Amino acid sequence: MTTPTPMLLLRASELAGRPVVTLGGELVAEIKDIIFERTGGRIAGFTLRNPGLFSRSRKDSLPWSGVHGVGRDAVMVSDETVLVPSKELAPRKQAHKADVLEDRVLTDNGRDLGRVVDVVLHSGTSLDVVGYEVQASEVLGTAGQRVFIPLPDTMAVSGEHLIVPAAATEFVSEDLAGFGAAVSAFRARLREGTS
Amino acid sequence: MLFSQARKRNVVNTTTATRVGRVDGFVVLPGPARVALLRLGKVSGAGTLLAWEDLQGFGPDAVTVPTDAVIRPPRDALEQRAEDNDLEIMGKRVLTERGMELGPVTDVDFDPETGAVTSLITKTETIAGQQLIGLGGYAVVVSA
Repeated sequence: MTTPTPMLLLRASELAGRPVVTLGGELVAEIKDIIFERTGGRIAGFTLRNPGLFSRSRKDSLPWSGVHGVGRDAVMVSDETVLVPSKELAPRKQAHKADVLEDRVLTDNGRDLGRVVDVVLHSGTSLDVVGYEVQASEVLGTAGQRVFIPLPDTMAVSGEHLIVPAAATEFVSEDLAGFGAAVSAFRARLREGTS
Repeated sequence: MLFSQARKRNVVNTTTATRVGRVDGFVVLPGPARVALLRLGKVSGAGTLLAWEDLQGFGPDAVTVPTDAVIRPPRDALEQRAEDNDLEIMGKRVLTERGMELGPVTDVDFDPETGAVTSLITKTETIAGQQLIGLGGYAVVVSA
């Protein structure tokens, strides 16, 4: 018996280098980078590189619609036919993850929470951006430490400023294990409209 | 019967009563999971593959064949990969279709009457043969 898959939170940086494997058990490529949709906090797909030490980027990409499953150890696809030319998926460079990293997170009441060091994704039926890993500023009690800040489910990932509702500071986690519950609680609060 | 027990078994031609090879490996195919071919060593001819349907019997002491002619070279690209040992299931990493690794295959249990694979065994799990989705050069893929 295999154990059921638990709710899986991933750091975006962990996905880089992860193998892309067909259901037939063949290695197709490695994940190079994540392509974010410009709105809505969803993943549009992945750019690829060939496996191995001196790997080259590839001209094809993996759209999210072609992904069968994203796990701790591999990104699964039905077969190689799901890949599309990269220009169909990522017409603009600014959709990439690198834009978010190093940006400052501001609350909507103007407080700087810190610098983004990673993006936290939830892997389910889609791969959603649920939070940022941030090098905390003095606004948070844990200045200097890395903490996780939840995002509303309607958040644009790449904008000029990364603005989160002030209530997000109440749902900061210090570890990824407890962060899933924090995201759920934070989003439930926003839906109640009491933020 | 486990692959670990069945390996190294002699293959005997029942017409001439001579040993014609030794079982070196198993080629498993999905849908349904089964032993499709045996990979032989210590053969006299050029071929090393023996299709399951060409077997007379897979007994506790020997594998029997009616004639040497059933031991043959690969017929297609898949069989070529099998002969090159690219598709060997033993020791290959198991991935679920959700992308979770379950460790390498340490053994495989099969029915010597039919060739059906009943379970895949890893250090921590026993996975039913029906869960096998695919077997390639990189991984054994099983349903979650």
